[in-house]
Amino acid sequence: MLSSVLAVASDDDHSRLPGCVAVTSFTLRDHTADVAVEADADSLGGVFAALADGMAAAMADGDVPDAGERFAVEERAESREAVLYDYLSRLLYERDVRGVLPVDSDATVREVATGSGDTGAGEDGEEDASEWVVEATARGVPLSELHARDLKAVTYSEMVLEPRESGWHAYVVFDV
Amino acid sequence: MTSFDARGHHLTEVEPDVWELARDDEMRVPARVLASEALLEQIGGDKTLDQLRNVACMPGVVAPALCMPDGHQGYGFPVGGVAAFDAEDGCISPAGIGFDINCGVRMVKTNLTYDDVRGHEEELVDALFDAVPCGLGGGGVHDGNHTDLDEALERGVDWCVEAGYAVREDRLHCEDEGQRPDADLDAVSKKARDRGASQMGSLGSGNHFLEVQRVTDVHDDETADAFGLAEDQIVVLIHCGSRGLGHQVCSDYLRRIEQEHPDFLESLPDKDLAAAPAGSELAEEYYGAMCAAINFAWVNRQLITHAVRETFADVFDAPDWEALEMDLLYDVAHNIAKRETHEVVAGEDDDGGYSLYGDGERVDRELFVHRKGATRAFPAGHPDVPAAYREVGQPVIIPGSMGAGSYVLKGGDGSLGRSFGSTAHGAGRLMSRTQAKDEYWGGDVQDDLREDSDIYVKAASGATIAEEAPGVYKDVDDVVGVSDALGIGDLVVRTYPVCNVKG
Repeated sequence: MLSSVLAVASDDDHSRLPGCVAVTSFTLRDHTADVAVEADADSLGGVFAALADGMAAAMADGDVPDAGERFAVEERAESREAVLYDYLSRLLYERDVRGVLPVDSDATVREVATGSGDTGAGEDGEEDASEWVVEATARGVPLSELHARDLKAVTYSEMVLEPRESGWHAYVVFDV
Repeated sequence: MTSFDARGHHLTEVEPDVWELARDDEMRVPARVLASEALLEQIGGDKTLDQLRNVACMPGVVAPALCMPDGHQGYGFPVGGVAAFDAEDGCISPAGIGFDINCGVRMVKTNLTYDDVRGHEEELVDALFDAVPCGLGGGGVHDGNHTDLDEALERGVDWCVEAGYAVREDRLHCEDEGQRPDADLDAVSKKARDRGASQMGSLGSGNHFLEVQRVTDVHDDETADAFGLAEDQIVVLIHCGSRGLGHQVCSDYLRRIEQEHPDFLESLPDKDLAAAPAGSELAEEYYGAMCAAINFAWVNRQLITHAVRETFADVFDAPDWEALEMDLLYDVAHNIAKRETHEVVAGEDDDGGYSLYGDGERVDRELFVHRKGATRAFPAGHPDVPAAYREVGQPVIIPGSMGAGSYVLKGGDGSLGRSFGSTAHGAGRLMSRTQAKDEYWGGDVQDDLREDSDIYVKAASGATIAEEAPGVYKDVDDVVGVSDALGIGDLVVRTYPVCNVKG
């Protein structure tokens, strides 16, 4: 293990009991040419946020200052994996356009019926005509206030996003 | 050694440095690795061979699927992969090109010698670092807007000439004269444009760099003379790509393939090989967007060239860069797919596919040639080689690590028949970035290079220096040796770093 951080997420996923605080963690993993982030959390939103924080850690060089405003993003896609891909890609887009490093991420993930409200099926729902939605926020630390390196893109390579007894586990490779 | 086994794969050496991967039931064509024994051992150490095997399973692939001597594991396709797909029955794959569309290298010549630069290294590396935006968030050489961006996407280096960032001679010394006419602006998303507008003329980070080098060895006097290169001459190497714009184009189309061609995607051996069927609307759109991103990358490298030229003129107290004869040697892409016509042989098996070699009648066939971490290396006489080099063959630039030499080759006579006119693109990574940071400290690497080798390195991030330490790369001499021995890219000169700027 080369880097690990414990963070607190505050999403409202169905999988977590009311009043509980979500604990998430990520680890940067070896990959010949690229960088991989492995993450665990007790909720789907938590694992999305942990991956986002891992992605930020792979870019940041040294300490990240306690600066910047929070911003919100929302992505919708046809599957859990697809919405994860779109969410992390969106953060890279925001990084370039806003000129900030997105840190301290917070995410909620749910499945909704297409064009209407929540399916009520929960995170494991398999109903047709539905889509996955991630609603997230992050603190955008101005790139002028820290040293950071480019991560080019999110990849599907060896992507894992699966439920575990203790919550959710994910593995994502980023192109450097 | 006449055979090699690794990770369940069996390869046979069919001729020196050419290893053929045994064909299984799912492979449509054989696959070949062009490597020495030592390089093959390294290539067999990760998933490169798995990925090469998967490419050989794709629809319309023309034999053979290839891995260059610097190959290593990528995502989907191996880095160092060359794969040609029939333009009628095959496919085009964003994953076979990579996120950094038209990542490539250019070399700028000077009339300075190493003696002219000695004593100025620190001043030069500081001035270049200040002049060329690198890392994240530094903007670009050109303060872009969407109007300029659209011109750049459509016209490539031609826009730079009009905007005062290039001279006409630059265009004539660039692959495709710095402009892909198939660029389709409507196929480039707003998100991609948004990202590109603030990055026009920026190095990025990772393995991208700007390096002042000196020519240390001339291996082919006649060609070196034709290229305008001589021993002890100072040259500048610029390595970068299409930045966020290209990355976004690739991401956009990977997702659209997933949504619009799920059955085709499902038929592929690996989701990472995402491809659009040839002839589909999406394949045409992607090709148009990719060509626009190719133009953007050429503009990016040209804008950096402009900043480098101005900086040299300042540091060496010249009236202008022309006085330093800072002419472009050549600009080559190494992450790209192109419609190219190649001579192939119709297959004899039920698949009815085509092959680069064989005894049958040879026919001209239009192919999508994917080079992902591989460089086009067309020989003398090929009509696609710019007029300036048509008599000698196109220059091929193969950078090594910041502590090792780089090479200029020329397209070899054997390249069309062996590798669809391709050769290697660099040294190839040997060690992961995380392992590199474990084993090296950026400051120590920087000090060692300066004290032991007179190489001055400056980077936005110490971690990047550690990740790019000389020890994390394969032996570029061995890579180039294979290319030369196979006649796919012939050795012309070797260069050695003087100053290196990294993102």
